[in-house]
Amino acid sequence: MNSFSIFEGYPISPNTWDEMYAEGNVRSPYQGIYEFLQAIPLEELNRKEELAKRLFMSQGITFTVYSSGEGIEKIFPFDIIPRIVTAAEWNSIETGIKQRLKALNLFLRDIYHDQFIIKDGVVPADLIYSCPHYIREMQGVNVPYDIYVHIAGIDLIRDNDGTFYILEDNLRTPSGVSYMIENREITKRIFPDLIPQNNVRPVTQYPNILHKNLAALSPRKISNPTVVLLTPGMYNSAYFEHTTLARLMGVELVEGRDLLVDNHCVFMKTTNGLQQVDVIYRRVDDDYLDPLVFNPASELGVSGILSAYRKGNVAIVNAIGNGVADDKAIYVYVPEMIRYYLNEEPLLKNVPTFQLKNKDESKHVLSNIHKMVVKKTNGSGGYGMLMGHAATDEEIADYTKEILKDPRQFIAQPVISLSSAPCYINGKMQPRRLDLRPFALCGPSGIEIVPGGLTRVALKKGSLVVNSSQGGGSKDTWVLSV
Amino acid sequence: MLSRVADSLFWMSRYIERVDGILRMLKINYASSQDNTSEFGWKPVLNTFSFLEAPKVDKIEMDSWSVLQFMVVDKDNPNSVVNMVTRSRENARSVQDHITKEVWQCLNEFYHLVRDERLSWSLKNEDPITTLDALIRQAMLYYGTTEVTMSRGEGMCFMSIGRYLERAIQATDILKVKFKDISTDAEKMNDPSYWKYFLMSISGYELYLKNYRSGFEAKNILDQVIFNISFPRSVHYSVYQAQRYFDRLKNERNRDSFDKVNFMIGKLRSNIKFSNVESIIQEGIPSYLDKIHFELFSVGNALNQHYFAYS
Repeated sequence: MNSFSIFEGYPISPNTWDEMYAEGNVRSPYQGIYEFLQAIPLEELNRKEELAKRLFMSQGITFTVYSSGEGIEKIFPFDIIPRIVTAAEWNSIETGIKQRLKALNLFLRDIYHDQFIIKDGVVPADLIYSCPHYIREMQGVNVPYDIYVHIAGIDLIRDNDGTFYILEDNLRTPSGVSYMIENREITKRIFPDLIPQNNVRPVTQYPNILHKNLAALSPRKISNPTVVLLTPGMYNSAYFEHTTLARLMGVELVEGRDLLVDNHCVFMKTTNGLQQVDVIYRRVDDDYLDPLVFNPASELGVSGILSAYRKGNVAIVNAIGNGVADDKAIYVYVPEMIRYYLNEEPLLKNVPTFQLKNKDESKHVLSNIHKMVVKKTNGSGGYGMLMGHAATDEEIADYTKEILKDPRQFIAQPVISLSSAPCYINGKMQPRRLDLRPFALCGPSGIEIVPGGLTRVALKKGSLVVNSSQGGGSKDTWVLSV
Repeated sequence: MLSRVADSLFWMSRYIERVDGILRMLKINYASSQDNTSEFGWKPVLNTFSFLEAPKVDKIEMDSWSVLQFMVVDKDNPNSVVNMVTRSRENARSVQDHITKEVWQCLNEFYHLVRDERLSWSLKNEDPITTLDALIRQAMLYYGTTEVTMSRGEGMCFMSIGRYLERAIQATDILKVKFKDISTDAEKMNDPSYWKYFLMSISGYELYLKNYRSGFEAKNILDQVIFNISFPRSVHYSVYQAQRYFDRLKNERNRDSFDKVNFMIGKLRSNIKFSNVESIIQEGIPSYLDKIHFELFSVGNALNQHYFAYS
């Protein structure tokens, strides 16, 4: 073997599950890639890293940052070393997510209809009505096949014993799936043969499944319904994803200004006049969807679209009002929901979570704040969080003031260390923390999860925050078939 | 097809056509400037392809290097190559689901190429022809890629209409400037290198030599650039192609819009078809060119009104 190993001195943090190493030995699923990396000269690895960057750039897998009137193309940082999920791990993730999603869909149907779960005292009513994402206009509206969550991006993390925990349910407009697909394409280019040799399951079928599910929702029972993807436009940071999905599904990418509502039906403006739209996969948030009902200043949405939806003349994916189910204060009740609706024990655990609106829990959190992560219940993207172990006293004091103003808006979780995996940084393998976001698709024929997902990695040394807005990157995620 | 998408495809294509025209013009004019005993002026190029005010034109027209910087990489010049490629690519970006991945990648690479700081450096410090050739090659790559990969649907029609409309407008623009030029400087009329470089800049030199044996004459030049249907940069050829692609848009659902635009293109085509060099000399070259120019713009406006309006 090589006299020099790029894994030399790979420092494993104490009390952390490393995806590749167990007590100094390489775990068996990583053996193949480990040997490959041992044999490859450093210059070649650098060239591969360079090639990956160039591919992202020339294919326009970028987002544009606008400063002083000029756009600058940025790529979402990509680490070339894949993250591996074994067949057994995937099996437990898959069954666990399916169970959870089933319960969450039943919960949304229940909340927007009879509210048995409130009447039976499982979930407190005030928690629902105080949630900013609870949409009153959805009360009593029937959605096709009672499916509210068609696409879910559920975030999983691993504690120091390797157990998977659910960190967040993203049930509104989860993004990142294009990186699941494109990262794999890049890996094929930079590591020829490695994917078949390692029995990695493919992810390319995602757009086909999504399109099949979307077309099945058409209110008009016609052979070729018009499905569109509604984007906020090219200035949105996820615009690349919107165009990719539209292209891979072969559907029209539309903006709010391309649509209009007439007599409670949605139409798009084409060169041949108006064409009726049957299904809208929207990547616009609830708040901006219909200026007549929600934010009146929004130019991203379509006036009257909610009325067309309520009449059942158009299907909207994901359903409006899903935010009430992925609110971080509701998250605490998901295990209870699973027991209540399915009469099953939850397969995937929640991270222990304290609600600051409860006096004794709040007291516990505030006196142990150095060991806590405090989050806003309706926040996302890693904004507005307090990482207790890393915050200064001043930051903690300021944040505490915020909490006491409106405790409903906050939850706290003990700091979970997150598993680490080797990343190729500055010519060396270095451990970095990561999470996993598989994408689950729920259609009339059931729930399907493409074997893979977005692995987000905190590229800053020692950081536990994987969000792209906070210096995170991504890896290709390999789910093995054996 | 969405009106917005048709609009974007039309402009995506128009901008590249204009970029291609400008790059060829710059290349040949630069070559001509190296081959001239008398002073070479860039005024016709600047007047055709930019909106620079007269005093500023006078300031830089004798300085090839400043003109190249201004026309290629100056971000404050709305008609610079970098700005037009950027706009073409922005249009492409918003219709990625209607163009092939290859076309998108080609424009995206063009965009990264023109924004690279090395471009401005090599334009200043190296042989400009090499640099301009690299850019022209990228435009050629775009033409080839669309030709080979794009499906022959509505989208391709709007792209082609944009391309040929732009080409016809450029041809009339250049003729207008050239004939204004000789009206003030009669010597140019008989200067063979003046016409040679002009024909080279629109890739029409070889064809001219084959067709007209009697040397350079204004009426032969007019004949080739306006009427010759086998010259791909002639006004007639461009209008004919635009009409051909427009015809394919006809269907039962859009008859009203189709008829209105069709009338205007048909009228323009007849106008060219039933004129000849003699008749336009009689009518007056500038007024004929102005008329064609006006009608080309009217077609663009009509498309805008009947096919692209979405707000």
